Amino acid sequence: MADQTTTEASGAVLGAAPGAALDPATGAAAPGQAGSTGDRPVKIIGIVCNWCSYAGADTAGVGRFKQPANMRLIRVPCTGRIDPLFALKAFQKGADGVLISGCHPGDCHYSEGNYYARRKFELLERMIHHLGIPKERFKWTWVSASEGQRWQQVVTKFVAGVERLGPREGRAL
Amino acid sequence: VSRQDHIREFAAKALGDGRVDYFIGWKQAYNSSEVIPAFVKDPAEVEQLVWNPLCQHNLVTFLKRNMPDPPGAKIGVCVKGCDSRTLVALLQEELVDKEKLYVVGVPCDGIVDRRKLEKELAAEMVDIAFPDKGKIVVTTRQGETKEFDQKAVELDVCARCRYPNPLYADDTAGPPEAEPEYDITKPDFGDVAAYEALTDGDKQALLEQIYSTCVRCFACINVCPVCFCWDKCVNRSRTPEIVSQKVEPKENLLFQMVHMMHVAGRCPSCGACDRACPVEIPLYLLHRKMNKELYDMFRFEPGVKLDEKPVFQVFDLKDQFGD
Repeated sequence: MADQTTTEASGAVLGAAPGAALDPATGAAAPGQAGSTGDRPVKIIGIVCNWCSYAGADTAGVGRFKQPANMRLIRVPCTGRIDPLFALKAFQKGADGVLISGCHPGDCHYSEGNYYARRKFELLERMIHHLGIPKERFKWTWVSASEGQRWQQVVTKFVAGVERLGPREGRAL
Repeated sequence: VSRQDHIREFAAKALGDGRVDYFIGWKQAYNSSEVIPAFVKDPAEVEQLVWNPLCQHNLVTFLKRNMPDPPGAKIGVCVKGCDSRTLVALLQEELVDKEKLYVVGVPCDGIVDRRKLEKELAAEMVDIAFPDKGKIVVTTRQGETKEFDQKAVELDVCARCRYPNPLYADDTAGPPEAEPEYDITKPDFGDVAAYEALTDGDKQALLEQIYSTCVRCFACINVCPVCFCWDKCVNRSRTPEIVSQKVEPKENLLFQMVHMMHVAGRCPSCGACDRACPVEIPLYLLHRKMNKELYDMFRFEPGVKLDEKPVFQVFDLKDQFGD
């Protein structure tokens, strides 16, 4: 599953494929209005590290754990590679939620990438909420390559949270 | 001896001794209601340097690019308390060469916000005088004069200032200013409280309104002393096109968020961007909030200790973020 969606998702986020851009005028529910799912399924961008969470998503697929299909994965070499801009750009392009995941602290393939990353993500999360994007729409966490089950739980819970808010009609980002 | 005399004396000595090739200070603009940055190369020209509560420019901005410029140049520069923090932030990351600098610290008791004055007056200002401490007298083109209490028209950042005295300087112009009467043991981020109290929907609506006026002139990043990826700015990159050329609220806020996230850990909220913005976008809503969260996360204040590394340049195994 992950392999098929990677190309499409990165195209949408980096603006290379205008066709993949989201339609803002879908008659979706107002942001924050609970209980409404709008007319279209929510689109969620997952930015995952190659070594742990991407492999974890693969493990979940191989294990045939049922999970929502709203997630488009973008594979990056390391969470340390993830610029806060990626998440902001995803929201600006119309993503309804952004999930960032990587190796557990101590397990980084490059020893220390995620130690730097978690500082950035914590600030990013707080700043995203500061812009008026609800907490449910952004999450960062750790999923290792063997944690297919955990990947399933994380994704299911996150997508459910975003679906409760419905598609997003961002006004300022 | 006034601080202004001290600045002139230090500048003349440094230029005369050959300690610096040029000296950056402030001078009067086209009339005495405004001050602009001055670049003095000749000891005979130091008389043009001034110091008064109109000296709002953060001169550290001129050190950030191609330092030293021209190569090998030794530069003298005046810094206020807030400016010194941006200089310390650059020194922490070794982005400027301490050996090539001569820093004159200028203790400061608040800078006047010209925009507040402009809003009070019908006509253009031609003169601003400072007869007594804490009082300013403004004369307009129509000959009208009006007196203001300096505290009432000073910059918003000055009202919460905790560092009136420069934190890094080779020489200091006169005795230090008295510390403020309010609690300065910890930063006060009360200026973003009203915004934070809004609902998510209201925040988005307000930001949309604010950022619809941005014309993407890049004055905020050009004037920012700690924003210096000049040759490779992601905001101006066209391949890949991260921030598009389209000027609309979402792109404008994305551009500004890129700026904020890139200067995180370096930006001490000197407010140069707020003052530079021609359409008066309240950028403090972002950079003050960012500093509030950095203080909350790390008890970290940018540009305060020379031997400290900015929080995003280092990490700690004991960090307790995430689940």
